Amino acid sequence: MYKDDLTPEESFKIIDKAISNFKTNYKESAQIFLLWGWILTLACFAQFIILKIIQSEEAFEQIGLLSIGNWVVLILIGFIIQFFIVRKIDREKKVYSYLEGYLKSLWMVAVVSIFVAIVICVKLEIEPLAFILLIAGIGTTTTGLLIKFRPLVIGGIAFFIFSIATTFVSVEYLNLLAGAAIICGHLIPGYFLKFAK
Amino acid sequence: MFKDLDPLLHSQLRLAIVSMLVASEKVEFTHIKEQTKAASGNISIQVKKLQEAGYIDVEKTFKNNYPKTMLSITDKGVKAFEDYVNDLKKYISPK
Repeated sequence: MYKDDLTPEESFKIIDKAISNFKTNYKESAQIFLLWGWILTLACFAQFIILKIIQSEEAFEQIGLLSIGNWVVLILIGFIIQFFIVRKIDREKKVYSYLEGYLKSLWMVAVVSIFVAIVICVKLEIEPLAFILLIAGIGTTTTGLLIKFRPLVIGGIAFFIFSIATTFVSVEYLNLLAGAAIICGHLIPGYFLKFAK
Repeated sequence: MFKDLDPLLHSQLRLAIVSMLVASEKVEFTHIKEQTKAASGNISIQVKKLQEAGYIDVEKTFKNNYPKTMLSITDKGVKAFEDYVNDLKKYISPK
């Protein structure tokens, strides 16, 4: 069944077949994109509603507490769910590709960069959203280019456009804009990835 | 006929195994079995030969109380694969 007397052409065919049949299934990444897409969209819209309600009730002293609570609680929930998703993926995993390692590093650096950008912006007293969306755009576009998945590249470009758009929108609507950016940049490409053949 | 080609790689199953390992960081034994459709015993023999030559690493762990064998290519294996492909090219277009 398996022979050792191969012609060079047969050898190339074996190499080609082994490598081309061996494409990693990136659909599992869709779960992470969708998780954070939903978590961050909810957080943005919740933040918009919190600010609207508090403004209307003139209870300004509650803004800080509710805002921080909104983000901390939802992000914490996101990390807990991510832990279980990653554990399940690892259990079923049979192939560890080099690319997955690069993507993991890319997103770890992106998350750290977002936190650094927020700290810098708080210190400089400027709105951090443009920089957050820019970094998310870098991560998403690069991921799309590396796994050769066009909807993610387009989602990443959408982040860049929304990043510029933040400079034209008044502060009270920034959370709505951020929510829209995450829907276009993460949620829609995430569903495309989930249902990709 | 093709005496310059690495005899360890110039074999259908071993070449398929090494080609898969070149493309990934780590691959589980069962996945190689699924892809090559070869018998476990046959794969084990070829894996042992490649391991003894220092071309691949074999890591045995447990997953849900079941043994899990992960294979990965070594630097020596990558070099041997590159040399093998270059030698093949010479046969196809000798200059």
